[in-house]
Amino acid sequence: MTDQEIIERIDTSLAEEFELDLADMVPEATIYEDLGLDSLDTVDMVIVLEAAFKFKIREEAAIREIRTLGDIHNFVIDKYRRQDGAA
Amino acid sequence: MATLGPCDRRGGLSARLAALLMNLTVYPLLILWTLLGLVTLPLTLPLIRLVTGWSVQRTMRYIIWVYGQGWLLIMRPFIRFETQGLDPDRLRAPAILVVNHLSFFDTYCMALLPCFDVNFAVRSWPFRMIFYGFIMRRAGYLDVESMTWREALAAGQEVLAQPALQLFFPEGHRSRDGRLQRFYSGAFRLATETGTKLIPLCLTGTDTLLPPGRFRLRPARVRLHALDPVDPADFPGENGHVAMRKAVKERMRRHLEGLEERRC
Repeated sequence: MTDQEIIERIDTSLAEEFELDLADMVPEATIYEDLGLDSLDTVDMVIVLEAAFKFKIREEAAIREIRTLGDIHNFVIDKYRRQDGAA
Repeated sequence: MATLGPCDRRGGLSARLAALLMNLTVYPLLILWTLLGLVTLPLTLPLIRLVTGWSVQRTMRYIIWVYGQGWLLIMRPFIRFETQGLDPDRLRAPAILVVNHLSFFDTYCMALLPCFDVNFAVRSWPFRMIFYGFIMRRAGYLDVESMTWREALAAGQEVLAQPALQLFFPEGHRSRDGRLQRFYSGAFRLATETGTKLIPLCLTGTDTLLPPGRFRLRPARVRLHALDPVDPADFPGENGHVAMRKAVKERMRRHLEGLEERRC
């Protein structure tokens, strides 16, 4: 899967789950202010990403540093590549 | 005085006069009623507590509900209220209520509920208003915007254990176009975590009465319908609250569409 395909899967998964407009889903969009998610949504977001990419990320410390959609893209791409390399 | 619905606005001059009369009478009466409530609060709160033995929260919710009855009385000459499914047995606590959000007056319309012990989950800004904040804190309302979801969940569990009704506006904001916006998950998570029934409420007409960003009141027909309770046991699994949220929203959307077709 290319980086672009990973990004598209993240965006479509989150858009479907949280009823977001894909046009608003730019990398610099902040999760709380721009996308309007709340603290419970971020918990659900982890579940959505785990289901979309078949990996576990809820215990990862780096996830608490995520502020923007671009951070999510980078985090998931990095996790996906590490998992892919280990396989 | 004859009551007027939104379709009566087509009536031209008489409808415009009714709207004018509404604005000239409702606002002064509301101010007087609110001032009376505030001035007598230091007396009514301890007095009701003394007579009933209720907690501060329950007593304050009762006073808010009585205030809401006054609001209904002031509005009735201009608003045709229609309710459906607001059966006291159906709305027996503990239960979680979710209602769509169209207008500042939506919270006032909850006075149509046949029960007074309703705790609201609201955003932070009303808590910053001097009197509103004081009263809402005494009533135990949840400031869900300032809480983490774990804190909100614990506070909601406490309310349900009293037992009381916990009400959410799952959209978080008033809709600008009358359509349902995206739903936040808090109410549904509370339902699945506690196994508490959830009752969807559908509200229409308050966007005619007072739409967001406006101050001029208009005569309207306000409908508040309670749909059948939803059992969280039907939505098992880690992400059950999300499935429940989507199912409830779809039911509300369909019901609101039906109400919209019958609007005039």
